Amino acid sequence: MNPSRQRSAGQGDPLSLEKMKAADPLSPARKPKSPKPENAITIAVSSRVLFNMDVEQQIFEQKGMEEYLKYQVDHETEPFAPGPAFPFIKALEAVNAQLRDLYPESEELFDVVLMTNNHAHAGIRLINSINHHKLFVERFCMTGGNSLIGYLKAYHTNLYLSADSSKVREAIDEGIAAATMFSPEKVTQVSETQLRVAFDGDAVLFSDESERIYKAQGLDKFFEHEQAHENKPLDHGPLKGFLEVLGKLQRKFYAKGHRIDCPIRTYLVTARSAASAGSRALKTLRAWGLETDEALFLAGAPKGPMLAKIKPHIFFDDQMFHIEGAAELGTVAAHVPYGIAQKQPPKRMKDSVEPNSTQKGPQLLIN
Amino acid sequence: MDTEVRKTAIVKSDAMLVTAVSCYDIFDLHTQTESGTLGKGAAFTFIKAVQAVNKRLAMHNEKEALQFELILLGKDCEEQIKSNIFDSAKHYGLEIGRFYFCSREDFIETLKANKVKLFLSTDRDDVYSALKAGFPAALLCQQVSQQIQDQLKVLFSGDLIAHSEDTIDSLKDLGFSDVQIQNFKAGKSCIREFAMLIGEMRKRFGCEDSPLHIILVTVWGSRDVSATALKTLRGWGLYVDEAYCLAGAPRSPVLTTVQPHILWDDGLHFMKGTSHGGEQ
Repeated sequence: MNPSRQRSAGQGDPLSLEKMKAADPLSPARKPKSPKPENAITIAVSSRVLFNMDVEQQIFEQKGMEEYLKYQVDHETEPFAPGPAFPFIKALEAVNAQLRDLYPESEELFDVVLMTNNHAHAGIRLINSINHHKLFVERFCMTGGNSLIGYLKAYHTNLYLSADSSKVREAIDEGIAAATMFSPEKVTQVSETQLRVAFDGDAVLFSDESERIYKAQGLDKFFEHEQAHENKPLDHGPLKGFLEVLGKLQRKFYAKGHRIDCPIRTYLVTARSAASAGSRALKTLRAWGLETDEALFLAGAPKGPMLAKIKPHIFFDDQMFHIEGAAELGTVAAHVPYGIAQKQPPKRMKDSVEPNSTQKGPQLLIN
Repeated sequence: MDTEVRKTAIVKSDAMLVTAVSCYDIFDLHTQTESGTLGKGAAFTFIKAVQAVNKRLAMHNEKEALQFELILLGKDCEEQIKSNIFDSAKHYGLEIGRFYFCSREDFIETLKANKVKLFLSTDRDDVYSALKAGFPAALLCQQVSQQIQDQLKVLFSGDLIAHSEDTIDSLKDLGFSDVQIQNFKAGKSCIREFAMLIGEMRKRFGCEDSPLHIILVTVWGSRDVSATALKTLRGWGLYVDEAYCLAGAPRSPVLTTVQPHILWDDGLHFMKGTSHGGEQ
């Protein structure tokens, strides 16, 4: 057996034996091994939602790719500050720690993968930042401008979060659950031990079929339709699968007696009202064998205040109006660009740079 | 050694990246049209990608000395096939400077005699023979489709670059066989030379819109291994465009998406003792 050598990786030195043993599951002082993608719940995050890259994004938009990459390399040893997905990722790690305690052999864990269009020149700074914040992100794809879709699929991605709505839309079109993340206007303290995920109903968990009726025929017809079809489950929406995997993990906690203090809590936050259209929503979930811990029927009232009380790590909605309302009061909100509501452009939120808007050359967006 | 040589007019200099490929990889010797033109082989589009790089290099600088100079090798070819190969190369407009036909035993000698700086083959055994004889050699990847890509993609293994000679033997603890370790060492031996050459070439182009793309894939290691590999390559003058870190995830789905042409192999396949059975 070779003696171990204490050399730090990342200085351009060859790798020490110590680091290699860290990858060996039988070695005592080890990092946990990453689960196989087909077993894990893979959350793919872009660099701009994991970290705050506002300064760098501005340099890219104003001065172009070469200047942007030079800046990244020049500032390589300066870690980025956390981005909007950061609290969510930390909460996933907390859940993983608890899952490992209860099920040490299981690979049904969250696996966070950095999935970015970024050029590998920015890679070392990103890796240094991950190290600085002690995040458990072992896997990454930096595609240097090429499409992410093949890689999202290669990792069996369960959820893709990005700051770039065009990439999110592309992913949803390919059947991958995805959402565009926005930073809240103020920082809310969220739980470090319990993961809280809030979902809108229509066009997020469910299809947009009922929303279409509401838009085409008005509120009364919508109520009529929903009550008439109360017992017919709605079709599924892009985030149904993600709720499903969360439910699966919840049941693992219940099985070990952690029902009341389950480290995962889910919420349905819908504009439907409990009196009428809400019933169909609940019955649909039940028909799918799914449930949320809490179901909040707002009957059209703004979602912001309710979400501020719940303090979720992330809230998914298909309508920018609700996203903006949530962000105003400090909730990290993620837009699901799916369904009939997308015909209207976003009102106030600063979206990321769209292709062809300011760039002349190849559509090399920093993601 | 029976060597038939045909030269065409191209810029000649010592700086040329003399690259030898096998005719079996470029042409499909089993399919022919009536006129004797051979079908396209598994790595046919590689030639086109190389030609695109050469064209762009010449655009930047007419007198560019560092270009790919392609040599086609044929092992144990029959006479009829030889002329089919000449004609097919002409038919497809392939800019191949020289053709060498030799016997299986002599192919290393042929590489030596022609100062080959890079040998590419879809046959792993051939690649390792060349590496062990001291020639930079890499896998020529079978292309999934005949569609011409707009980039020549050169892929390096992060595990290979990051590990040193000292740590290689301990790989046996992780379940790799002696043969795999030998291949790993062979892959390590010539990689710096090749990386520096390709790095030089890559520098001729900007970050965007480059006809040459450098890719780093780290299969077994996690992010720190990748960081070490990126820094090592940078130290050799090679800047990476795309980087993927798998930390033990299966490599095929990622490689299928990347679609490299040239892959500098690390020899660590079919790892025993893990749940990754089969091709990794």
